Amino acid sequence: MVFNSFDFVIFILPVLLVYWFVLKKSCVSQNILLLGASVFFYAWADWRFLALLVVSTLLNFFLGLKIHESEEDRKRSVFLYLGLIFNVGLLLYFKYFNFFYEGFFELLSAFGNTSEYSALRILLPLGISFFTFQTLGYLIDVFNEEIEPSKNLLDFSIFVTFFPKILSGPIERAAAFIPQLQEKRSFSYPVFVDGLRQILWGLFAKIVIAENCATVANLIYNNYENEPGSALILGTFFYAIQLYADFSGYSNMAIGVSKLFGIQLMRNFSTPFFSTNISDFWRKWHISLTTWMMDYVFTPLSFTWRRWQKRGLILSIITTFVLVGFWHGANWTFVVYGFLHGIYFIPLVYSGKMNTSEIVAIGKWLPSIKELLKMLSLFVLIMLTDVFFRASNVGTAFEYLKKIFSKSLFDFPTSLLNGTVLFTTLLIALYVCIEWINREKKHDFEISKYNIYIRWFSYIFIFILILFFGRSAETFIYFQF
Amino acid sequence: MESSIIKERVSDVLVSVLEHNNFEMHDELTAKDVDGWDSLSHMMIITEIEEHFNIRFKLRDLNKLKNMGSLISVIQSKI
Repeated sequence: MVFNSFDFVIFILPVLLVYWFVLKKSCVSQNILLLGASVFFYAWADWRFLALLVVSTLLNFFLGLKIHESEEDRKRSVFLYLGLIFNVGLLLYFKYFNFFYEGFFELLSAFGNTSEYSALRILLPLGISFFTFQTLGYLIDVFNEEIEPSKNLLDFSIFVTFFPKILSGPIERAAAFIPQLQEKRSFSYPVFVDGLRQILWGLFAKIVIAENCATVANLIYNNYENEPGSALILGTFFYAIQLYADFSGYSNMAIGVSKLFGIQLMRNFSTPFFSTNISDFWRKWHISLTTWMMDYVFTPLSFTWRRWQKRGLILSIITTFVLVGFWHGANWTFVVYGFLHGIYFIPLVYSGKMNTSEIVAIGKWLPSIKELLKMLSLFVLIMLTDVFFRASNVGTAFEYLKKIFSKSLFDFPTSLLNGTVLFTTLLIALYVCIEWINREKKHDFEISKYNIYIRWFSYIFIFILILFFGRSAETFIYFQF
Repeated sequence: MESSIIKERVSDVLVSVLEHNNFEMHDELTAKDVDGWDSLSHMMIITEIEEHFNIRFKLRDLNKLKNMGSLISVIQSKI
């Protein structure tokens, strides 16, 4: 049941009505409804793993309490390690088993072993990369005494399973999420409308921008052997926009849906392509994953390797980004993707600009030429890594890149001379303009400060574009992760 | 060791790592308030403090650091 489906509307309307009209006086009953709806939503998507979700929730809840209660350091560590083994084990088994299994067989065959390798059929539980990261972060926070463990199983279960975020995040933190469940939510008209606005914008990004870009990108990627380098680089451009619009669109819808229930989720994208360096880009791209990785991977690593100074820092960054890449899936393509992003940080470490966040064109309509060139070159660098993100294996990605950097880069891309490409380009231009205008706002379509005519014109305009140019979309790129 | 002496020594470490003294030492001072105190210099400052006071931090100590006051008290607890 994706957000952009009729099923979802049928599902959410009664839940909202009961939530705000029948249960408005009781915090506990609001929470029971949220949990019920979340379990239903997950079961509807894939009932087979419901038991796994229940076990994971109960075990993590119990371990959080045990870590907190234990007075001896050794006991606290034992409970933490149990949690780490369980959560990481789930991920390793469901997501990475075949990857390592295949690698093991390849290693054996290098030593002359001839036994046959056959991949196990392991289904990937929906949302597993997202909810296990949430519970991992929770246990580490409790262990570090950053937060008190939740003593309320109902609240904790919603933290794990809350339906707007279970399938693809944002990866929430208990410290920000759980307190919101401890008080009764009162209806706020501005928040509700803002949620609707964010859903509308997410819907536009997903079914207009991402889906049209996908059509163009697929055209090129599925036939890349016969296309010139010029078409391949344009195909990658459309794919880069598709990836962004797909996931940021999904995130906006998730955050918007959550707002309808008066619950604030963390921002996941903050116009990342208007960045002038890679560090800034990652502060704005998939923020909930990046901050998670910074807190639980990068900080411990850079602390451990602190005596190696800059080399230690670079090693920590590269390791962190290889893991960021690998988090997306059990494929070497993602490892290379992460590795390249890690490499991109090296000049920043040496120039001492790691933490300088340059906000472009503050208080101005347009960026300076220098800012524009920096943004464009960063975009091209990122676009090239997206070739690995999209390709089915590393070999194909290299072939694709080799063709981009060949003489045919200067040939005319005849296959891209059609109506779809033209109107998709115009739609992208509009999309980028609106994101640019709202780049300093709390989200990409925060237009509450404009007058009523501009607001309603925008809603109707976006709605018409969705009607005319929207394509049906059954899935999202990030559902597979 | 008295906290005022620790504070003075930490200030010396900051000056030597960051190569400037455009900050005022007080308990509420945070990394954000000081130019150049980023994730790289943070680790360098931590390493320098360890060597200077002959102590070893744990990752958990680091997580507890919220401002200068907490840094001073963590150091004090270790010497």
